[in-house]
Amino acid sequence: MTLIEFKDVTFVHQTGVKALDGVTLAIDKGEMVGIVGENGAGKTTLVRHVNGLLKPLTGSVMVDGENTRAVSTAALARKVGIAFQNPDHQLFSDSVEKEITFALNNFGFEQPLIEQRVSWALEFFGLEEYRKSSPLILSGGEKKRLTLASILAWDPGVVILDEPTVGQDAIQKAKLAEITKNLKSTGKTVIIVSHDVEFLWSLQPRLVVMRQGRVAGDGPCAEVMLDREMLKTARVSQPQLVRLEERLHSRPERPFLDLSDAAAWITKEAQ
Amino acid sequence: MYWIANGFLFRRVTSPFQKLDPRVKLAISIEFFILSLFASYVIAVGAVLIAILAVAAFARSLKRVGRTMVFSLLFAGIIFAINVFFGLGLLHALVYALRFLAIISSTSLFFVTTSPDELEHIMKWMRVPRDVVFAFVTAVRFIPVVMLDAFQIMDAQKSRGLELDKGNILVRVRNMIPVLIPLVVNSVIRSGELAEAMESRAYGAIPKPTSLYGMKLKWYDWTVMILSFLGFVIALYIYHSFRFPF
Repeated sequence: MTLIEFKDVTFVHQTGVKALDGVTLAIDKGEMVGIVGENGAGKTTLVRHVNGLLKPLTGSVMVDGENTRAVSTAALARKVGIAFQNPDHQLFSDSVEKEITFALNNFGFEQPLIEQRVSWALEFFGLEEYRKSSPLILSGGEKKRLTLASILAWDPGVVILDEPTVGQDAIQKAKLAEITKNLKSTGKTVIIVSHDVEFLWSLQPRLVVMRQGRVAGDGPCAEVMLDREMLKTARVSQPQLVRLEERLHSRPERPFLDLSDAAAWITKEAQ
Repeated sequence: MYWIANGFLFRRVTSPFQKLDPRVKLAISIEFFILSLFASYVIAVGAVLIAILAVAAFARSLKRVGRTMVFSLLFAGIIFAINVFFGLGLLHALVYALRFLAIISSTSLFFVTTSPDELEHIMKWMRVPRDVVFAFVTAVRFIPVVMLDAFQIMDAQKSRGLELDKGNILVRVRNMIPVLIPLVVNSVIRSGELAEAMESRAYGAIPKPTSLYGMKLKWYDWTVMILSFLGFVIALYIYHSFRFPF
């Protein structure tokens, strides 16, 4: 079932830069979609259309049957949660707990439900010990988790992560990957905008490649990442495991999905 | 809001006016500023305003100066209303309102045609202390950055259900708190980082650092400066010698 639909969407920034140029894209409910492309390819502009922060110049964006032109961002935000790249752009409360309640208050949640949702979010993201602390004292990874917690607390159907791995160490990335998989398993539609092809490869989402405001490639991650020429024109690098697979003399039937997959195949070949 | 705020910012365009020495541009702006202050008739202030806009058009910056005028119209309206309210008469009130617009436009003309680098040169030429110059020029350079930050913060908060455009004035002011706190915190963090980066690159190591570019008045700078000064003197003469009907 199609949940988000871009129909021939064009968008020009106030600076005169054409950020989207005839984008047509449909995203199903419960789908996990990765969006890649070079800087300025239109990735962030595309996802900002989903919760109505930006309205298309021409074409239309439909979210859950509603045209984003006709609905306010606040109304769309109830269905679409966006975790922005820089957590410092949204943290302002004097405690972690209040930071999470901010959106819940805006959406008019009742007190018992707020308490329940806050406790769930703090526990799910491992932030319980910071409940009464200022968000400003948290580390970069913890701030990132807090922004996610503050979004998932209101349980939006669509979760958009804009560059979630920026500034995250390997352990945080692994945690983030786990959280993202959990989101998908709970039936949420997850959209990830990222330059981190290794992170996306570990998730194996449907992959949309953007180039100069257009969709240059679209399909399963394992297929799109093999299209070296298309990726080259979009200035997107292939994941290491795909490059390894391509350079092996004797090749597996498909690219390695993770390190253990590669190790198992190499061990088998060596024997 | 972005559209209006952009009116105060410098953007490089190819125009003979922008190529002028910044001191000449400053002189022209000051002349317009003084003429605006001295003009006491609607016709006189109107003429100054038209002259400023003509120069802005020649400098290919009319749209940007126009934006600052749009921004100033509200205040000009308030000035007009207050003067009418206190019984100064419609013409007097109109002079004050137009004068305000002319003053803002003359200042805007200088800022939209002068890059922060040129601003820095002028201030140094005026023997303003280096730290003051650096602080001022950095503040000017950071306006677009802070504006971008503000818009990103607004987007982030709107995405969490905050409605900035609804409610009475008090509600709207209160709703700005989630925008202002991250903006101030980010700016403080950025200024700290900038200070460290500057010190790491030997800022303040010697009392009089060298410069890549200097300022040198060329023949066309002198020509424009002399012509503008002549125009300024003639305008002042006209102010004092003629009685305008209104």
